[in-house]
Amino acid sequence: MKIIGLIIVVVTGALLIYAAADFPAWSDPASPASTYLSPHFIEKTMEETSVPNIVTAVLADYRGFDTMFETTVIFSAGVVCFFLLRISRREEEEPETRYYRHVLTGVTIQLKEGYKIPPSDDFERIDAAWTPPDLIIKTGCRILIPFVQLFALYVIAHGHHSPGGGFQGGVILGASIILLAISHDLRTAVRRMSEKLMAILCAVGVFIYAGTGALCLLLKLNFLDYSALAEVLHVDPITARSHGILIVEIGVGIAVMATMIWIYNNVSSAGRYRQGL
Amino acid sequence: MNEQYPALLVVVPLLSALVVSIAGWVNKRLCFPVAVAALGMAAWSAVGLLLRVLDEGVIVYKLGGWSPPMGIAYYIDYLNGLVLPVVSIVALLNLIANKKGIEQQFPDKIGPFYTLYLLMVTGLLGIVVTGDAFNLYVLLEIAALTGYGLLAMGEERAPLATLNYLYMGTIGACFYLLGVGYLYIVTGSLNMVDIARLLPPLYQSNTVLAAFIICMVGVWLKMAFFPLHAWLPNAYTYANSAASSLIAPLVTKVMVYVMIRLMLTIFTTEFVFTTLALSDAVVWLAVIAIVMGAVLALAERNLKKMLTYIVVAEVGYMVGGAWLGNRDGMTGAILHIVNDALMTLCVFMVVGNIVYKVKGYAFEDLKGLFRKMPFTMGALVVGAMSIIGVPPTCGFFSKWYLIVGAISSGHYCFMAALIFSSLVSVVLFFRVFEICFYEPFSNHHGHDNHPGGMDEAPVSMVVPLLVVAVILILVGLYTGDIVNHVIQFAIPEAMV
Repeated sequence: MKIIGLIIVVVTGALLIYAAADFPAWSDPASPASTYLSPHFIEKTMEETSVPNIVTAVLADYRGFDTMFETTVIFSAGVVCFFLLRISRREEEEPETRYYRHVLTGVTIQLKEGYKIPPSDDFERIDAAWTPPDLIIKTGCRILIPFVQLFALYVIAHGHHSPGGGFQGGVILGASIILLAISHDLRTAVRRMSEKLMAILCAVGVFIYAGTGALCLLLKLNFLDYSALAEVLHVDPITARSHGILIVEIGVGIAVMATMIWIYNNVSSAGRYRQGL
Repeated sequence: MNEQYPALLVVVPLLSALVVSIAGWVNKRLCFPVAVAALGMAAWSAVGLLLRVLDEGVIVYKLGGWSPPMGIAYYIDYLNGLVLPVVSIVALLNLIANKKGIEQQFPDKIGPFYTLYLLMVTGLLGIVVTGDAFNLYVLLEIAALTGYGLLAMGEERAPLATLNYLYMGTIGACFYLLGVGYLYIVTGSLNMVDIARLLPPLYQSNTVLAAFIICMVGVWLKMAFFPLHAWLPNAYTYANSAASSLIAPLVTKVMVYVMIRLMLTIFTTEFVFTTLALSDAVVWLAVIAIVMGAVLALAERNLKKMLTYIVVAEVGYMVGGAWLGNRDGMTGAILHIVNDALMTLCVFMVVGNIVYKVKGYAFEDLKGLFRKMPFTMGALVVGAMSIIGVPPTCGFFSKWYLIVGAISSGHYCFMAALIFSSLVSVVLFFRVFEICFYEPFSNHHGHDNHPGGMDEAPVSMVVPLLVVAVILILVGLYTGDIVNHVIQFAIPEAMV
């Protein structure tokens, strides 16, 4: 079997090298990829879409339809992780002994089945595998997280003009919450951003993108033709394209952030939402 | 409204998938009606598009208002005009039929299931409708990713079988993407019609040849063309019935469509059949695929797995027919996309009903089913007749075109393989019928075994199944119209 595999790999490799023989020279300015469509994008992007960043314009406007589906791919990944991993409450057996921790003193108490503690904010539920988070890491991350989030918002909002955009910003935003989950524990992170909220935000993010496209359709232009938004936004059609890109970038940012957190929660706890990693 | 059908076709299922995803967290009962309404709207748009194509020819829809080489465009011609209604109607009927089964199997995860189902249909419709080679890849990703999720929920062995599919499917998709990348390097364009326009001077280039081969191998992997089929039987057998009866009829057929699209539109028949001398080799591979699919099906002792091997053999029919290089063969291959989608749906829905009632699909579980589930078994008879190729069911007519194509291009082995596989199908299905006719043996304690009364699946499962069985016969009766008014124009003039 290994030898057959080797033969297939060698043949495929040989085919790829054979194909590379007819490639245009490396960084050849006269190659078809550089001469066919690129000049149009380089010369016309500003005047057609009023977006200074050509990459953003191609990504979110000229080929915005692809990007909408790329966002959908991320959304699908989140739904698939949930669908396959999440152990539903009905199937999940409630552990016999539960653990609570007194927030102020850090005293941990163990409760046998049938016992309850009086409802108060002084106690928080912890998992059996819970270990006290390191004070230095915890404090360090608490200082870091707001700045990470601020930077993420900058990356999303400034995607028009500089490198960045919804995907990158969304990942950074998601990472800040994942950092919280790692430095504290999963329950803390889920208390801040509940499972239901994440699931709904994922769909809302993609909905902002696809809904913007559908709005253009309702305004009697083609799907995702942002110039239709001029009527709603009270600007000229070219500026409307730039605003349309910003709207969908925000949608992408929300979807990506929520999906990152949702996937992390499901994968790291094997669908149990308990400390396991 | 009318001119927005191309966008609605894909966007309505997408938006409703998002709505269903949210509804799953708010009120689960909303999920099913929204999903049915969305797929109904998609089917409506698809039929509307086909009628428009018949009326006024090729439709071009510019997404975002950008003209083709800059932006992405949808092209609806006679080829995908025919496939779109099939995809959307199959998805709709299967969804209605499986409502009960889904609620039985995933009571807590109805929302995510319908979300993935709708996204999968979005992906498949998007693959068929698009005129952009890269956009096709993006939707291929969606269809594949949601497909893995749907298939992995099932029996104990489903996740492992699906992981295997995931590896193979990812390699297939990567190969396709690599091929598109090569085409972009030499032409600078991603639009299918534009690539076809720019390619002729480059037909002798190594890069174009490699791009074609890589794309083909990638697509063959995704459609489970022998010997790249190993992932399919287990992945489809162990999955839950709602997913397998959506994916088995549609995914392989949509990938055959992609292959034909690559051959006819992007690379054109001149390159595929004149510049390359591969068609004999591929037809031979198809012959092996058909024979091996039939033989492996014969070795199975379990209905669902037997059907998955029949799917492998049917892929051989379509690939072989498309590569015969003549008009009849291509007509047969395109017609068989429609017919095979419908008949695979029919037999997998039958398995779904049996699983719902009997909780099993091994041959021993089938005893006495003709008495117990007469309507379901009646549909199985129609589906089986179609797979065997008995007129007036539709399977006969596509097989007829394939055989005529094989004779006129002198590939007698392909013809022999088709006839061999039909005969094996006769054995396969009559063996199943024989088991289903006899009652189970009396039970261990020697009590009288009263033959049980009728215990049919719920009406909501039986009615869609019977509709599919009737469609099988209707498509058979109207084959002449489909060929003369649609398929004939889908094949370029250059092909004789």
